[in-house]
Amino acid sequence: MSKGHQLRSIFNLIGLYFRVNLASAMEYRSAFMIQAFGMVLSNGSFVFFWWIAFNQIGARIGGYDFTDVMFIWAVTSSAFGTANILFANMNHISRLIISGELDTFLLQPKSVLISVLCARTSLSAWGDLLYGFILIALTQGADGQAWLMYFCGLAIGALLMTAVAVTAHTLTFYLGDASTLAGMSVEFIVNFCIYPKGIYAGWVQVLMATLIPATFMVHLPLQLARQFDPLLFSGLLLVSAAYCALAWFFFYRGLRRYESGNLIVTRL
Amino acid sequence: MPSNPEVQVAASDHKGWGAGQAPVRLGKYLAIAKINLHQAIVYRSNVLGGLLFYTLFIFVFYSLWQAIYHGGEVQGYSLKQVVWYLSITELLVFGCRTPVFTQMNEDIKTGALAYQLIRPCHYVGYQFAGAVGRMIFNLACFGILAVVLGMVMVGPLPDYALTTLPCGILSACLGLIINFFLLMCLGLTAFRLEENSAFYLVYQKLVFMLGMFIPLEFLPGWLQRIARWLPFPYVAWAPARLLVAFSWPLFWQILPLQAIWALIAIGLSLLLYHQGMRGLQANGG
Amino acid sequence: MPMNMIEAYGLSKTYRTRVRGEGLAASARAMFRPVYREVLAVQSIDLVVQPGEIVAFIGPNGAGKSTTIKMMTGILRPNSGSIRVLDLDPVRERSRLSYHIGTVFGQKSQLWFHLPPTDSFTLLGRIYDVEPGVLKKRIAVLAERFELGALLDVPVRKMSLGQRIRCEVAASLLHEPEILFLDEPTIGLDVVVKQAIRELIRELNQEKGTTIFLTSHDAGDVEHVCRRAIVIDHGRIVLDQPVKKLKYDYLNRKIIAVRFTEEHDLKPLPGVEVLKTGGLGSRLTVDTRIRPIGEVMSWLVGSGGVADITVEDPPMEAIIAAIFSSQDESAGSSGHEKRP
Repeated sequence: MSKGHQLRSIFNLIGLYFRVNLASAMEYRSAFMIQAFGMVLSNGSFVFFWWIAFNQIGARIGGYDFTDVMFIWAVTSSAFGTANILFANMNHISRLIISGELDTFLLQPKSVLISVLCARTSLSAWGDLLYGFILIALTQGADGQAWLMYFCGLAIGALLMTAVAVTAHTLTFYLGDASTLAGMSVEFIVNFCIYPKGIYAGWVQVLMATLIPATFMVHLPLQLARQFDPLLFSGLLLVSAAYCALAWFFFYRGLRRYESGNLIVTRL
Repeated sequence: MPSNPEVQVAASDHKGWGAGQAPVRLGKYLAIAKINLHQAIVYRSNVLGGLLFYTLFIFVFYSLWQAIYHGGEVQGYSLKQVVWYLSITELLVFGCRTPVFTQMNEDIKTGALAYQLIRPCHYVGYQFAGAVGRMIFNLACFGILAVVLGMVMVGPLPDYALTTLPCGILSACLGLIINFFLLMCLGLTAFRLEENSAFYLVYQKLVFMLGMFIPLEFLPGWLQRIARWLPFPYVAWAPARLLVAFSWPLFWQILPLQAIWALIAIGLSLLLYHQGMRGLQANGG
Repeated sequence: MPMNMIEAYGLSKTYRTRVRGEGLAASARAMFRPVYREVLAVQSIDLVVQPGEIVAFIGPNGAGKSTTIKMMTGILRPNSGSIRVLDLDPVRERSRLSYHIGTVFGQKSQLWFHLPPTDSFTLLGRIYDVEPGVLKKRIAVLAERFELGALLDVPVRKMSLGQRIRCEVAASLLHEPEILFLDEPTIGLDVVVKQAIRELIRELNQEKGTTIFLTSHDAGDVEHVCRRAIVIDHGRIVLDQPVKKLKYDYLNRKIIAVRFTEEHDLKPLPGVEVLKTGGLGSRLTVDTRIRPIGEVMSWLVGSGGVADITVEDPPMEAIIAAIFSSQDESAGSSGHEKRP
């Protein structure tokens, strides 16, 4: 199978699961609305915080002004939302490995990783996605470059977040239950995405460009939104693709050790 | 509605207790707290993720405040104070979070509440005692971590009067009580409302914004004035403020308000509970 | 078709489990230097299944049934030995193989819990690349055959277990597999539903020629559905013979529980062993080779005052025990090495 064909079949599969997930969500319309609304509200409280902080302190914090912070917030929120709408099962991979629930996906002809990731959706994630969108509309106005980089950041962020979560959960094949570790890795990513990069010491910034790739998810897109650089942009795309490829490779490597729920001791 | 005989028995049993015919024995509530504490200790590894998250959160905000402060004070708080402030509010709100809202919701909606009632003890008291047991463990774990982090990141507060510490701790206990019973009130709305999770979200965010993230003093004047009339700042702001910048006049100003809010929250939850129970008995669950 | 559906030689699977000591110190030590223990789940199995067979793969819990089925379907990789299913390597050619096999794992649903089965069927049809037009026809046929008409639009969460299993089996047939693997398909079902599922499986085999490979620890599944039985215990095949012979040798015993309206004493007959009597309830085992079940029934009814009679198959454990004891008598004659 050619690479192009393979990629197209992956997109088809994602689309397929997306539709079924949406139908499943629609079975619980009111819960769906409330959860989505709740997320918008919940994220709103952070804007309040920033509004106060900038009011008290002045124009720039860690090199970012208010609209900059709103931009990284919007991208993070929408990326998190997209990842959890399309790939909500990324949060459960460890459990699926331990309890042997990967069986169902291994029995099917399509990509195991994609099927696993897509087999579940999160209702509240729609709120996250929507919130980022509203925030960009309110704070960046008609800045075309900002909008463009918002969508790029959204896609890159969603993919990298998923890639890191998959990589962390894959450790379950080797070490036993890694779900706490994986859950924390997502928390870390989100937290290093939503504050100005400049507030952190050098060693943290190194982490942010390696283990916790927050830099590539939001901070570089922000830099590109303010001043576009084709070289930096292509570099960003390449690095992001590398993260995804690594996660993919690592997962299938680990899958060879899958024991279908038999006799794995479940503790890290 | 067909009534389940067991539910009937439970409900009528409870009536006797609710009417206060039996003496309230504190011993059994102590035992409930104890067994919950034991369980928390047995499942101690559950707290690890939370501790890690707490550390992350404090570190991020420490970095943030450090970038914001260029020496000096903001609204009367130094950098050291504001970091300690946040570690205390997070300790109270995040470290000691209780699942009481979801618990009540589930118990009421699934009808499990009726089975809880078979036991000869007051349901509200039962829930509170259980929460106290779990909280003691969390308070110890997160408390130690909070002190360690504070010491490592910013060091001790200068000229801190340790003698005022008990007053701050008392305020913290009141804050926890207010939080617990307000959440219980929200959970008890499930008797009437099919979907009440929006209340919980709104409540949580109000506590976040009115004192947890940032000291109340940082808010614009008009908002501060409104906030002081609401219960939310008395959950986190009041104890944290008293712990990092104590003064006797402030203490005598805050503590009575906390006590009043605690009484209101307890009273309201008892009222909602008994009203709900009456409805339940009338309709047979 | 000249090729075999399943061919396995010397198939083995070993699990490594981590051994954990008690207490904090031991678990801290285990983090850095884990201690493993090897568990032999399947030990050098040879078996060949031909097209159109209905094979029962039976044995007590933990005997290695599921492990074997998982190696055949590509979920688990064997430690040693070779396996070919439809002339494909299940692990290396997993995704190619999956188009040709169907699976029903009683405990693991392939249906979406909150959605009606139609949605799951459509999704599965797309996953298995079935043309939409063809899929529609197949769903219609299966719905009729499995009597799903009214169920197609009911969310799975609202179904009974029996209804759900019927949908599960239908779902696994959407891509018209050549082999159908069923892992404990009737577990937890009541007698009537069990019987219905068994009939469906048999018809499927007769009409489409689908090869059936079924694990169970219900002797009834074996007796009513299968033509060949393979018994596995402690990861080894202890018996492989036609069900007819198995039936004659080991499934010939029935257990009868009788309840009388008044106290009653039963005398044993040739071929009837009385396990418990005196009082209102009695239990007997009947060797149907010596005495047909009908005769025993009329004998019981004739003795007067019968309130209730139940006829049961002996539990699988008892059958396995019987197989062992008979093999002890004629050691080595079955051709299989045995180590109880």
